[in-house]
Parts: sequence; C-alpha cells; structure tokens
Amino acid sequence: MSTLVKECALLFVELRAADPEATSALQVARAHLDGGAALLSLRRWRLFELRGEIPAAAELESRLHHSTQFYNPAKERGTVLGEGHGVSPAAPDEALVLVFDRGGERRPAAERWWKHDGGSKVEVREGTVWALRFEGGAPAEEQVEAIAVTTSRASGLLCNPHSQEWRWAAAGTQPPLDWISRRKTARAGRGPGGNAP
Amino acid sequence: MSGATVAVLQFPGVNCEAETLRALSRAGLEGEVFRWTRAASELGRYAAFVLPGGFSYQDRVRAGALAARDPLLAALAELASEGRPVLGICNGAQVLVEAGLVPGRGRVELSLARNRMPRRSGYYSRWVYCRVEPSPCVFTRDLPAGTLVPLPVAHGEGRFTAASRTVMPKLLEAGQVPLRYATAAGEIAEEFPALPNGAEVAAAGVCNAAGNVLAMMPHPERALELGALARGVAGAWSERRLACLQGDGDLAREDGPGAVFFRGLAAHLLEAV
Repeated sequence: MSTLVKECALLFVELRAADPEATSALQVARAHLDGGAALLSLRRWRLFELRGEIPAAAELESRLHHSTQFYNPAKERGTVLGEGHGVSPAAPDEALVLVFDRGGERRPAAERWWKHDGGSKVEVREGTVWALRFEGGAPAEEQVEAIAVTTSRASGLLCNPHSQEWRWAAAGTQPPLDWISRRKTARAGRGPGGNAP
Repeated sequence: MSGATVAVLQFPGVNCEAETLRALSRAGLEGEVFRWTRAASELGRYAAFVLPGGFSYQDRVRAGALAARDPLLAALAELASEGRPVLGICNGAQVLVEAGLVPGRGRVELSLARNRMPRRSGYYSRWVYCRVEPSPCVFTRDLPAGTLVPLPVAHGEGRFTAASRTVMPKLLEAGQVPLRYATAAGEIAEEFPALPNGAEVAAAGVCNAAGNVLAMMPHPERALELGALARGVAGAWSERRLACLQGDGDLAREDGPGAVFFRGLAAHLLEAV
C-alpha cells in the first residue's frame, strides 16, 4: 500500500460512444436559446471528486477502474486528475461548466465501498461537467453563463439555479481539484471559489 | 359535453398519453394526442391542454428541461395567458416548471429537484395522500379545502423548491399550492414517506395566480376508477371501495379519486362556453 496523504482528485467519466445527452443539449441550445447559435460543440462528463486519503496515481486509477461505483469501463472511459498527475480532458478552447445538485452531491454508497475496499476514508461527490466551445474562440464568462444558467425558456439550459450550483473554468485552465467541495463565493459560479482564476 | 377538445401534448418519451385520454373521456371531454412534430400554430384550436407523465427526451439534462424549450411551450404560454387551462402531470409538471408557466410570471422561478428521502435516493413510487388547499385552481374547484385525495406518485425529481426559502411559503399564502402531501389523518406531511420527496411546504402541486395552469406530481390518471385504489389506502375512499365491493357496485364504473381533477376541468370548460 502506498503512502496516503489528505488531498483531492477528480475523475472525469465520458461515454465511449457518442453522448446522446450532449447531442440533444447542443441541438436545443443552438435552436432555442438566446446566444445559442454561437455554440459550436458541447461535451459532457460525469465528474467525481474524491477528498481524503487518496492513494498514489497508479493505485487510485486501478481502484476507480475496478469499482462498480464510478464507471463502467466497457462503455465509459475515466480520466483522473490528481495532485501532480493527469490533465483535464477538455480541449484548450473549451470552457468547462460544472453543475451539481445543491446539498445532493455526496455519494454515500461510493464512500462505503471505498472504506470497505481499502480501509481509507474519502468523501465522494458527483456532478456533471459540460465542455462548451464557441465561435470566435475562448468565451467570456457572460457568454458561458447565458448557456449554463436557466432563467427563462430562452435563456440557459444546463443548470436550474433553484436546486443546482454551477461553477466554471475558463478555456485553457485546469479546474481546481476540490472543484465541488470548495466553498462558493458570493455569487454562484464566479470568482476563485468556483472558477479558475 | 360542449364538444371542447383537449390536446394531450406528447413529446418523445412521454408514456401516459393513453391513460390521460381515458381520463378526459371519462369526464366527458374529447381528447386528442398532439405530437411534438406538429406546428405550434395548431394549438390554438384546443380548449385546454394536458402534458402527461413519462420521460420526455429521456430526461436528458434535467427532467422536462429540453421539452420546455420547444416552440410548443411558447405557444402554450400564450394560450395559458388567455386563460386556457393547462394541466401538467409528473413529467408534464416538470416541463411547466422548466418553461416558467408555473408559478407563471414568465421566468423560471422553481425547480422540481431530485427527491430527498432518508437512506435512499432515486425513483420512488407509492400511494400518498394529498390535501386540497384554498386556491383559485380550476382543477380542484369542486373540492372543498381540507379534502383528502389519495393518489399515486412515481418520480425521481419531484421536490418543489426555490433558491430563496421565501418563495414557496409565499406561493402557499397566495393560494398557488392547491395540493399538499398529507398524512392519512389529514395533517400536512412533514416526514417521509407521507412526504415522498422532501418538497418545500409539502407541495404536491403548484398553479399560476389565475389558477388555470396546474403542475402536479401525483398521477390522477392512474386513479380514475375506484378499483384502482391501492388496498393500503385508508379513509373515506377506502370505505367507498369496500361498500362498492359489498354491494352491487362496479369498481370499474365508480369514479376513483383521480377523476375529480378531470371533472373539474370539464365543469370549467362547460361554464366557459
């Protein structure tokens, strides 16, 4: 067993096949949202944040791979981003939007599995990450927010702010490893509490 | 009936359209399935609208989120603002909330969020009791406040909530929460399982200020006949079922608790003619 340290890691889980959810969201956003026509592509990952006694990279990846709590390797692929290892699977021109259910992001079953399997204690949180690519290159925060945050039928799609939180990472930046658990700033989705600087 | 025709809007993934048509027919209304591929301009010829339950667009992104952006909903919002009745059941309720038709001020002001249940998560299905509250809602117009209506719920995202803690209490005060989850004794439900999803103010249904648009999570179309009533249901409806069984009644002919919402719609449309 490798040395355990208190830290965070992110697991990005992506379908191996084309993602019907992202395809539908892109089509609806382009056709019906204000500013949606400038959206060129939309990709989606399920994101897990692990916080606690995280093993070294190889062991971490192996445990995530053989557990049934995180992803199905037959139809999904996982990318791990940890302290000093791994890179975000997003392309350099994609802005990332994280969405998770307010107060409903913890995954107790995965935490129990982790403790049972290896004896260490971790907190597991889950959200959804969307990668947005716009015409004209890296988008401004307002452009991302207009697609992300639902305020009316014609504005926003990915997050309903009445029950969900959103945060973003600008194109070309790595999201923080404690992206879900870190305290939010005064305005949801903005500032270093939620975003890449 | 007046010949009023009610459109049952069907998006891909909606699967309760047949029961909904039966419910309308039972109330003396003519129902017609209106699929998403038709032009929004055709909606104008219908007197009322029902968005039935199911999984529109496979619940992609969020339940109801994609259907809510369909141009049909913009047309529906226009017709609703003229006073035409709109009933959203379960997934239909999620669509109405995501489209901003309830509470109805044009913006999205609520969410039907994932259920909150102790020691479990996900989809949950059971019979619950709903208590009718004072409201201008046209669908509960024939039910005195305090009436208990047993109905089945079956959903994973049915928790009425808003970003501000004051929104739902204000809606309740304004008479825009015509249905609340209750215990068999008629007390407002505070805990699971009487409160099946953790909804604020125990809301099972929310309507607009005029009362012509109702988003409700329980399924009245699954409780049309007395014979559909679950054996575990207590109270007046259970006694009615027992009396029917012991007498010469026909459980399939006698109205169940869900029929009253469609009869309320029929009575409203008859008055409007």
